[in-house]
Amino acid sequence: MRRARLLGRGLGSLLGLLVAAYILAPFLWVAASSIQPEKELFRVPPRWIPRVLTADNYRFVFTGQFPAGYEETGIARGRISEKARDALPALRNSTMVAVSVAVTNLVLGTMAAYTFSRLRFRGAGSLYTFVLASRLLPPMAVAIPYYLIVNRLGLLDRYAALVLIHSVFTLPFSVWFLTLYFRRVPPDMEEAALVDGCTRLQALLRVVAPMTAPALAATAAFSFMFSYNDFPFALFVTSTIRSQTIPVIVANTAINPDVSFGVVAVTVVLTMLPPVAFAMIFRNYITRGLIAVTTTR
Amino acid sequence: MRLVALPRRRYREARYAYATVLPVVLLVALFTIYPLLFALITSLREVVLYRPWSQPFVGLKNYLDVVRSEFFASAWAHTLTFVVGAVPLATVLGFAIAHLLNGRSRLAAWLNVTILLPWAIPTVISGIIWAWIFNSSYGAFNGALYSLGLIDSYVPWLSRPRSALLCVLFAHVWKEVPLTSILYLAALQAIPDELYDAARVDGAGTLGILRRVTVPLLLPTTLIIVVYETMVGIVTFDLLYVMTGGGPAGATSLISYYLYNSMFVAYNFGQGAALAVLLAAALVVFILVYMRLLRSEEIYAT
Repeated sequence: MRRARLLGRGLGSLLGLLVAAYILAPFLWVAASSIQPEKELFRVPPRWIPRVLTADNYRFVFTGQFPAGYEETGIARGRISEKARDALPALRNSTMVAVSVAVTNLVLGTMAAYTFSRLRFRGAGSLYTFVLASRLLPPMAVAIPYYLIVNRLGLLDRYAALVLIHSVFTLPFSVWFLTLYFRRVPPDMEEAALVDGCTRLQALLRVVAPMTAPALAATAAFSFMFSYNDFPFALFVTSTIRSQTIPVIVANTAINPDVSFGVVAVTVVLTMLPPVAFAMIFRNYITRGLIAVTTTR
Repeated sequence: MRLVALPRRRYREARYAYATVLPVVLLVALFTIYPLLFALITSLREVVLYRPWSQPFVGLKNYLDVVRSEFFASAWAHTLTFVVGAVPLATVLGFAIAHLLNGRSRLAAWLNVTILLPWAIPTVISGIIWAWIFNSSYGAFNGALYSLGLIDSYVPWLSRPRSALLCVLFAHVWKEVPLTSILYLAALQAIPDELYDAARVDGAGTLGILRRVTVPLLLPTTLIIVVYETMVGIVTFDLLYVMTGGGPAGATSLISYYLYNSMFVAYNFGQGAALAVLLAAALVVFILVYMRLLRSEEIYAT
């Protein structure tokens, strides 16, 4: 019996390590690639533990100084990799847009969800269904109309276009998620506040919001992630570095067959930093929020 | 006094209700109704880039052209292959990993942190990483096989039709597994311990508990996961764009890539819109089936 348990635990640890390797290997591979000169990366078979380390690739992305042994591969190539230098402004664009989307979801999503969970009014059911059902349109199908709407609003290549589109995509989920969550909160305390003369909005802000902080944090995290990760819409409604986001810049840099691998690895590493940090910070809220919703019946 | 105050309060509540709900509804409506109408109208006209001012009404011609095209059949065939591979893999792996995450060991806590990583990074970024791993001249996958002596020269995995789809599938599952395992973990943690204890008292072994307690209780979650993963699989685009560009020879041109191609490469907007309408309709049918299933499931559970 004890031996079986020990064996079970050993097997569990082994499987756990395998899963960790499966998840982490690609990250480690890119991180290792970003600190090696290009010549090392083309070695057959590859060196699993890098021997020649360099900060050249990072220096190039941050300062524009070409890595040694790079110019000899030709002018065209240098020009192509120049795009990687847009990574830093693109990171700023991405962060600005994603934070705005998260705030929009927190403000508009929370208010609407609270109303849907507490108040009865004409059309409540159909409006709720409409918001949720809107997500059934496949993204690729709405690309051109979205482009036309944004163009008509005069918002092409601006943050606002992306914030609008990403909010439209995230709000249905936020409203659904928060409505389920708010319904679980017993209405006693806010009713006391309402009797004391609070308005609905005040009750929401002072009583309900503090009590549901994990769900609000999860909502912010989900909408931030969606916005930061979006590629197709960012591709369609942005055109210059004024509003292009980091997935677009990295994809445009990387799909070029001539591009230097090490330099793109740097942009990939930089791209991963904000969402990974975000996921780490909000990890508990994300799982806790999901547990609360999946246990709602 | 009360008779007067009550309607006024109700009126105020209703006003508040619309004021808070309408911003979301209007925003969503603008970006839903207009695109829908646009797609429907465009799909009935001949709209091509080289004749922007002439958009004659052609009835269902675009639909017929699209459905008759050989790309339509092959794109759906590839999409189905992809979905049939991806959904069970993501579901079963998620289920298994959730059990590992559910442990109380230090390893489980650590896994809990790492598991979110593939989910957190943008899909195009994971596509780029996997495209490198499968790259024919410096990829880690080739490197590993070569080091192990399994191949004697590097294989261009992404330029062979069958392996290309498998590579994309692999990258897709890697990206999707975190979400499925987190959802399963949430559902697992919601199962009360008493149920396990009761089953154990009744003499059920590990497999018996899995079959009689865990699996039935996780059915609703499984249904959500299967449906969500199917939808995500059908509309996959980002990975294809950066990993294969729909190639080689269209082998990874799934339905939404075909749609992208009609619209933004061939610039045949009418056919693209027809395809979009068909894809939307397929998704709606799919969701209706799912809702039917879910409803019967709930009756079953109660």
